[in-house]
Amino acid sequence: MLMPSDAACRLSALGIVTALGSGGDEVWSRLLDGEPSRLVDRADLVPDRVLRVGAVHDPLPRIPARLAAFDCRNNAMALAALAQIEEPIARALREHGAERVGVVMGTSTSGVADAEGAIRHELSEGGLTPTFDYAQLEFGGLASFAADYLGVRGPAYSLSTACSSGARALASARSLLRLGVCDAVIAGAADSLCGLTANGFTALSAVCDGVTNPCSKNRAGLTLGEGAAVFLVEPGPGGVQLYGVGESSEAHHMSAPDPSGAGAEVSMRGALEDAGLGPDAIAYLNLHGTGTPLNDKMECLAVERVFGRALPVSSTKPLVGHTLGAAGAIEAAFCWLVLDRAQSGALALPPHWWDGEGDAELPALHLVQKGETAHPRSAPRVMTNSFGFGGNNCTLVLGRDGGRRGTELTN
Amino acid sequence: MTFSTPLTSSSTGRGESQLVNSVPAKLRSARVLRWSAWAPGLETPEAWRAWCAEPVPLATTGHPEAKFLPAMLRRRCSPLTRIALTAAWGCVEEGELGRVRTVFASRHGSVNESIEMIEQVVRRERLSPAQFSHTVHNAQAGLFCIAAQNRAASCSLAGRADTFACGWLEVLTHLERDPASRVLYVMADVELAPRFAELVEEPEASYALALLIARDGDGPELQFDLEGVDATPVTPWPHAGEFLRFLLSDAERFSLGRFHWTQCG
Repeated sequence: MLMPSDAACRLSALGIVTALGSGGDEVWSRLLDGEPSRLVDRADLVPDRVLRVGAVHDPLPRIPARLAAFDCRNNAMALAALAQIEEPIARALREHGAERVGVVMGTSTSGVADAEGAIRHELSEGGLTPTFDYAQLEFGGLASFAADYLGVRGPAYSLSTACSSGARALASARSLLRLGVCDAVIAGAADSLCGLTANGFTALSAVCDGVTNPCSKNRAGLTLGEGAAVFLVEPGPGGVQLYGVGESSEAHHMSAPDPSGAGAEVSMRGALEDAGLGPDAIAYLNLHGTGTPLNDKMECLAVERVFGRALPVSSTKPLVGHTLGAAGAIEAAFCWLVLDRAQSGALALPPHWWDGEGDAELPALHLVQKGETAHPRSAPRVMTNSFGFGGNNCTLVLGRDGGRRGTELTN
Repeated sequence: MTFSTPLTSSSTGRGESQLVNSVPAKLRSARVLRWSAWAPGLETPEAWRAWCAEPVPLATTGHPEAKFLPAMLRRRCSPLTRIALTAAWGCVEEGELGRVRTVFASRHGSVNESIEMIEQVVRRERLSPAQFSHTVHNAQAGLFCIAAQNRAASCSLAGRADTFACGWLEVLTHLERDPASRVLYVMADVELAPRFAELVEEPEASYALALLIARDGDGPELQFDLEGVDATPVTPWPHAGEFLRFLLSDAERFSLGRFHWTQCG
């Protein structure tokens, strides 16, 4: 199939597991509830501190024995998400052949949580746990596992640009289709709670007590989370499309963004330009919205410069935690659900949970309230921001046209 | 940098891909404009040319000083970062450092430093915030962008035994999104802590290869294709070294399992 470089790129199917639950239906309904009630307290992550986190509650599938080398929690979460879209993936494999299907996955943790167990075992008993394999720890292991599990024979690699990893995986997937290297790509991300990231972000004084409080004057840091989201990405029109990708680097500091928001602004403007849209075309923006003092300030400043203050925006991190390497894919999934569940042209929007106390130093953006809907005058387009540690930014624009399911989009 | 090495158009024959694909192969073609590499004892283009003629397994330990980095940034740099950024700086002219897109590939990344921190976590010790932020997989990319004041798009990846080929593919994805850009591709690794080394088939080596890649410019044009299902070979030295030997040779085609590079002439 001919795929010119501006060809359509459809996110055909979504699998997702987060603290909100498993599968699009469950996640969507709890997302609209907009309450951080699914977060739990964990005392085992950081010494002498209880962290409220967005842990995945659902029992995870067992990794098949033939893939025992990949048996770790991170891959089990990826498997939980992949299993939800096994049918469309099998269809793509039949249509295109295993060699023409690729895998691009984002992660910042890979199987570090299980490696911690192995090292703990080594320090106490001598020798790593017998079930430990390096394939669980190395970043490439996640994509390799997904490819081996699905029987995919095309390229398989993991991207790891901290908190923008999952968004980048979708950007790369679209490019692989346009390059003619693949006819379908399984793209997404998985990240799991572990001692390393919990203690690392704690050492950076980036983690708050309780639930993160994005855009509030009282915001005091992020809430950690875990989860996985995977898409089947295919060429062609219809359904939910990936319309735009914007990218930039901060060139500022390893663990802090440029306070002016310049990098975030370039990323958002780049995504609009790539999608061929003006700012007015965007109906909703899912903020990176980590709830750290610096992120929210620079992001709100950048959003105001690009969009003004009227655009409905929300951070969904109070509901699922900051899932780090998976956040870009999970928040793209939330945007996908907003578009997929559109009713008669109305978009139900994920509410912004916070204490309602605005920060005088931040522009007062239009934070989505519970029950709020958007009614775009043209075909809906939404945006999601991901800003990674190390200064790596990626913004995606998703949208939906009349097309195949156009009956639901009457205006 | 003294060991920056431009490549002029090669005069080798034209290779034709066997692939039947309606997407123009041109999209999968790119030129290597410059290269630079570093490994312990192999610090000049001449040394690398000699190595390419008669390759031997690379040394596993040692790293450069990376004096071009400001002292404040250099202090925190891991051996991997110093190696990767030394190759990067050697590959791109000063005026372009701030403009290129970057792709950093590494199978192991900062895993040795991560393991040190995991041990600290297991012993319930406090982590150093600076060490943590320098241990993410995109630490080399982050430090490059800061040191070079580069605000262009950047990506970091890993693909197990296919890391080098997947990194090349990721470079092509950047050229797809931004056809006029020049992409600095850095593949780097260091020796793995002994407890893991035995779990990995690949040869241990500390090295980096940097390539400046673009659709247009002065340098050999290579078409990249995926074809077949051959397993990725384990070579006596890193794939990046095998690739450099191909780049500096008259060979028309280079394959790593199902990944193939063909000289376009």
